[in-house]
Amino acid sequence: MSIEQLYRTRAKELLSSGEVKMVIGYGAGSNKERRRPLFITSAEECDKLVLDSACISNLSGYLLTEGLLSDEKRVAVFLRPEGVRALNVLAAEAQLDTAQIVIIGFDSPKGELKALEGSSVEEFTALITALKEITPETAGEEQLAKIEKMSPEERFLFWQEEFSKCIKCYACRQACPMCYCRRCIVDSNQPQWVNTSSHTLGNFEWNIVRAFHLSGRCVECGNCDRACPVNIPLRLINRKMAEEVLNSFNHFAGTSKTQEPVLASFKKDDSETFIL
Amino acid sequence: MTKILFADKLDSCVERWRSAGMTVIGPVQRTNSSMYDAVKSASELDLNLVLADRSIKELFFPQSEPMLRYNITKSEINTSEFLPPSGPRIIFGARACDASGLAIDDPLFGWDYKDEYWFQRRNESVIVTIACTKADEFCMCTSLKLAPDSTKGSDILLRPLENNKGWQVEELTDRGREAFKKVADLLQEGSDPAAATVSVPEKFDADACAEWLKNPENFNSHFWKEISLRCIGCGSCTYLCPTCHCFDIQDEGGSFEGIRRKNWDSCSFALFTMHTSGHNPRSTQSARWRQRIMHKFNYFPGKFSANSCSGCGRCTRECPVDMGITETLQEISKLSQ
Ligand code: SF4
Ligand code: SF4
Ligand code: SF4
Ligand code: SF4
Repeated sequence: MSIEQLYRTRAKELLSSGEVKMVIGYGAGSNKERRRPLFITSAEECDKLVLDSACISNLSGYLLTEGLLSDEKRVAVFLRPEGVRALNVLAAEAQLDTAQIVIIGFDSPKGELKALEGSSVEEFTALITALKEITPETAGEEQLAKIEKMSPEERFLFWQEEFSKCIKCYACRQACPMCYCRRCIVDSNQPQWVNTSSHTLGNFEWNIVRAFHLSGRCVECGNCDRACPVNIPLRLINRKMAEEVLNSFNHFAGTSKTQEPVLASFKKDDSETFIL
Repeated sequence: MTKILFADKLDSCVERWRSAGMTVIGPVQRTNSSMYDAVKSASELDLNLVLADRSIKELFFPQSEPMLRYNITKSEINTSEFLPPSGPRIIFGARACDASGLAIDDPLFGWDYKDEYWFQRRNESVIVTIACTKADEFCMCTSLKLAPDSTKGSDILLRPLENNKGWQVEELTDRGREAFKKVADLLQEGSDPAAATVSVPEKFDADACAEWLKNPENFNSHFWKEISLRCIGCGSCTYLCPTCHCFDIQDEGGSFEGIRRKNWDSCSFALFTMHTSGHNPRSTQSARWRQRIMHKFNYFPGKFSANSCSGCGRCTRECPVDMGITETLQEISKLSQ
């Protein structure tokens, strides 16, 4: 049986036994390359589920849809390892109770689909810990290496050019499972902490705020990068920050649901006198 | 015999327009994304794009526009206005959907208050549209009663020659004629045939959709929730849309000194209709998506006799969760049968 078939059956069982009230997965998109998030509430609809290597978006953000988990019923969700990490971060930040989530795990290293064992976050701990070990080498972003070699001035120009395209839609924020605040700091106007306009200053402010606020929280799912309508390579910023946080604090976001958030912890013997 | 602009003369035209003081603008490729932007020579233009990622509207209605500077002291309040930047411009290589989008928005920006920023730029811009000989699966101008060679909103229409060597020139307005007079000696009379425009299949029945939307019973249909469950409210569809025109007025700076700006806004955002009390009449994403569709295909046509959509397809092309106007109107077409 294909993994897709297997998971359709599993989804059917979960729904018909009443174990979950909804399955969040992927369905066919408007063309052959596209997949779209799908919300299934009855066993009969489970045949609409699609699973292949084109299912790349991280669906964990939908779990925080207002009211979804407030009845304490369970929801099943298709997740890649990044998605499971996202669940841990959200749980560590008290945004959801992982007991309410049934994971239908999969991955597609080198384009080949594979099922992942387990249905609760704890069962993925070994897998996630292994990711921590291999991440820096395998990330292999050529562009990142190029940027590292630049002088500070060149690097500034590179990002200035990229950020000049930003139209301040905040699609990057909306697509990110970690950006769950009902009222983001950039939407506050009394006082207005961050310029709302898409001029140079406003764009730098936003993108720097985003980078910092996601440091140690970003699970590198790539949702933001894919959502950006002007294709700013946001993943490079996330990658860089993830490396910094790993090297400085040995912190790999989303290893457990009780992990201490790196931005919210302070130690008296910290070698720095200021943040980060 | 028709007037022909051969491609090898385009650079001289650009030079001529520029030396006549016009800013020449056209579709260009920037890092990983394309847009309409000013160019110094024809070689910078990318006329092979099906359509620039970003729409033409930002040339007339930029994402952020300073309106006035304010300064408040104990004794007085001083304000100084930012006038709309002026100067003649020629936009070479627009697409019919983008040019139409501008014409669709004209009555809106001139309705109860005449938006000087929009009209100053509109009056000083010559729009040279190139008829499309290729399209992608998301293009849907024909579903909106437009076509790859619609003239709506354009001053000049160029039809690509079959031999790919240039364009037949159709002068549509005095403003267009005036601009092409400047390059009259660079044009030639010829009988080279024009290439056929691309055929864009109709995807939905816009009239039937309008009828369905007008029926008050459908306002509370379950359909709205089902079709928009996956919308994350990112606003890309509105920001890239050539006809979406909502903006927000923001004071940037402090209480006593700063700049008042007009910035894009989007009905997809949760804050769009949020009241100071905290109450939000469009509290769910489905209510916001319904608003977007209702506005474009019901309220706007009711007021200005045209759909607020030119079928460019950007909303579907760029949506991170594969939604868009196309699917919604296709589904409404089915419901209205
Ligand atoms: S910042 Fe981007 S890559 Fe990181 S978790 Fe958010 S959406 Fe995913
Ligand atoms: S998605 Fe891209 S354009 Fe939109 S705010 Fe984020 S970086 Fe800017
Ligand atoms: S329809 Fe798509 S592009 Fe538009 S706001 Fe929703 S998710 Fe974003
Ligand atoms: S609604 Fe979509 S198809 Fe219509 S003009 Fe706007 S972006 Fe283009």
